[in-house]
Amino acid sequence: MSDSSFEPKIVAFVCNWCTYTGADLAGTSRMKYQSNVRMIRLPCTGRIDPMFIIKAFESGADGVLVSGCHPGDCHYTAGNYHARRRWILFRQLLKFVGIDESRVFFSWVSASEGKKWVDVINEVTDTVRSKGPFTNYQKLNKEFTING
Amino acid sequence: MEEYIISLEDLKKLADNLIKEGTDLFLPSPDNSRFVRLKKADELKLAPEARPSDISAKQAAFPKCDPVLFYKRDKSTVELKDAEPSANQVLFGLKPCDAAAFGIMNKVFNWDYKDNFFNKRLENTLVIGLACTYSDDYCFCTSVGLSPVSETGSDIFLVRLSDAQFAARAVTDKGIQFVKKYSQLFAKGDSSKSKPALESIKGPARKFDSKKVKDWLDKNFETDFFNPVGDTCLGCGQCAFVCPTCHCFDIVDEDYSYSEGRRMKNWDACQFSLFTLHASGHNPRDNQAKRYRQRVNHKFKYYIDRFKEILCTGCGRCSRGCPVTIDIGSIVTKIGNLT
Amino acid sequence: MADIISIARGVFENKKADILIGYTKATSEGRTRPVIVRSADEVQNLVLNSSCLNNLATYLTRKENKGKKVAIVAKGCDIKSIVQLIAESQIKRENVYIIGVKCNGVKRSFEGEDSKKIAEKCLNCNVRTPHLADETVDMSDEGLTGKDEKAELIEKLDSMSAEERFAFWEEQFEKCIKCYACRQACPLCYCERCIADKSMPRWVESSPTKRGNFAWNIVRAFHLSGRCIGCNECERVCPAGIPLSLLNRKMVMVAKSEFGYESGMSADAPTLIGTYDLKDKEEFIK
Ligand code: SF4
Ligand code: SF4
Ligand code: SF4
Ligand code: SF4
Ligand code: SF4
Repeated sequence: MSDSSFEPKIVAFVCNWCTYTGADLAGTSRMKYQSNVRMIRLPCTGRIDPMFIIKAFESGADGVLVSGCHPGDCHYTAGNYHARRRWILFRQLLKFVGIDESRVFFSWVSASEGKKWVDVINEVTDTVRSKGPFTNYQKLNKEFTING
Repeated sequence: MEEYIISLEDLKKLADNLIKEGTDLFLPSPDNSRFVRLKKADELKLAPEARPSDISAKQAAFPKCDPVLFYKRDKSTVELKDAEPSANQVLFGLKPCDAAAFGIMNKVFNWDYKDNFFNKRLENTLVIGLACTYSDDYCFCTSVGLSPVSETGSDIFLVRLSDAQFAARAVTDKGIQFVKKYSQLFAKGDSSKSKPALESIKGPARKFDSKKVKDWLDKNFETDFFNPVGDTCLGCGQCAFVCPTCHCFDIVDEDYSYSEGRRMKNWDACQFSLFTLHASGHNPRDNQAKRYRQRVNHKFKYYIDRFKEILCTGCGRCSRGCPVTIDIGSIVTKIGNLT
Repeated sequence: MADIISIARGVFENKKADILIGYTKATSEGRTRPVIVRSADEVQNLVLNSSCLNNLATYLTRKENKGKKVAIVAKGCDIKSIVQLIAESQIKRENVYIIGVKCNGVKRSFEGEDSKKIAEKCLNCNVRTPHLADETVDMSDEGLTGKDEKAELIEKLDSMSAEERFAFWEEQFEKCIKCYACRQACPLCYCERCIADKSMPRWVESSPTKRGNFAWNIVRAFHLSGRCIGCNECERVCPAGIPLSLLNRKMVMVAKSEFGYESGMSADAPTLIGTYDLKDKEEFIK
């Protein structure tokens, strides 16, 4: 599956208060990391509807990362606790319908963890690169049955 | 009319030839839920005793989703490509209540605007009908001018003589040409063979007089009659989606990516609460009773006013499949008895 | 014990409710359909038997019935959905008058071979005696039997590779015609505007293409996760014959194993996704 020239597309849904700021810190500290990630900033992990993950796959993502504040640090007190519960359910659902749940990653990255952000991105990118393109889902995009 | 005899074995040979030629064959699935592509000719089965498939055969001419065009765009240009309706297809073993539906829908698809998609598909379709020996409490073909032995809409009409043998009538020019093309598989026969078989088919008793139904509907737009139906109708689109004659659709554009996409034509249904919702928030059919009134009026009044046809073949699918068993046949029968 | 007709009459005579949702005969023998009755004069056609498949609780959240005092005939599984609706603050306990059915199981389907089998949900039912009711009524025991074929299929799916599971669901979801009967029949799909009907932005494509069907079926299963009470109406009404209960039941199992939660049992307990626990698992989070 994995092709040496393959560069995965990864979508990261991050919260505004911790992970986005952490990523910003990585940038202002001039840390280098792989450029496969398209980041989408949301107010809180609690706002990250699991449908976003499906939408990312529909749009051609090979992997998805969801990241926010550590437990206890949520700007809105409990958004990440609610999110965590949903992720537990959603991962199992993905697994059951045969969508490789190991293409979906979750992390807690705080505003001061620029280094952790770099490590997470590199790890996610390497993992997805070695898995190859997510052809299973991507082939759904153009297919339909007119009849039968 | 030309009548022939064909054995099940030879029908399978016919199917095999067609598959090899690249024709798509469709027939009811083994669980009888819908029409599926026949992949292997020896799996061909014709079951006149089966109930109408849960989902009708209308997909052959009016698919659940149908591309209209494909687009590509970049910063300055948009490139459009028309979608081409599909290849030749043969529908095997359609019941009269399925076969007749194409002609009924044909009127609306060729009224002011000629729908190329519907027309092309129908042109490329050969319908092999089958005299039907099923009937249950939800069937009412005989009340809408059809019967289990009507040939309307079939190009070739089969009558089962025994498990292994069928009488085949070439009904239309298309059917005659088809039989000619495969003449080595069709033996000459005559109506003495099919006559007793056809006569033994009783069909459902006639339930209502559609003229009386229309008379009542003509005079009773404002009515409480549909309120009990509205009480329990769930507003799902099941009845419209499984119906062989319902033909509403919606058009949407869908992107594959930022630079590519398609325009799709998808089934829609008047029982959905959003069907008539205006952008202003106003909804002229703001409850389920009004929506069901539309369903009955469209089928038994408006379509007759405009096209002189009943928009219903009496197949009973909508009622058998309705989650809450709202039975259009008995509702219309009640209406017929009101005048 | 009183029969359904006299109980219904009593409901109106004693002014316990404004309307009553029950079952009546359908056109064919062996079927019933839902009916709403509004006075004691209309109760004579009510029936109750193992052909009462519908879960009538789906009518409780309808616009027209809101604010009314509604009596409802409900089997244990249907009562679970009423309990869940109360727990989710969609209806008020004092506005429903529950005629609980002491149930021996219903048929798997109205017609055909399956009408001789017991519904799969009934095989491991823990609420044959209603767990919340204002009065109860007996349903006769018709001695239906059958096997839980879906349980075996869930196990089989679990043991498959991701690719095989994907192929299985691809074939199933492809059949979906987007009629949304599954949603309309579900007592817990009560959103005034479903995410599948929202078009700005469009989260679930309206086309019954492979992509649109995956999105719809995943979102349906997810939104019912930890909420579905297993009445199996969605699967029963699906005209395309998609085994939707596999998804629901899998998620019921997950709710149980991950959180020890069972929906529809207590109207006072917090709902699964309406709350959280500081100790929820997070071994999968980096
Ligand atoms: S009549 Fe039946 S199938 Fe049609 S919308 Fe109403 S509930 Fe659904
Ligand atoms: S309205 Fe019902 S009975 Fe009439 S053609 Fe449609 S599905 Fe068949
Ligand atoms: S699940 Fe239980 S309460 Fe529901 S129909 Fe079956 S036996 Fe009756
Ligand atoms: S998802 Fe299906 S089984 Fe679950 S509550 Fe809704 S209709 Fe019942
Ligand atoms: S009932 Fe079945 S066909 Fe209809 S939308 Fe639901 S899954 Fe699709």
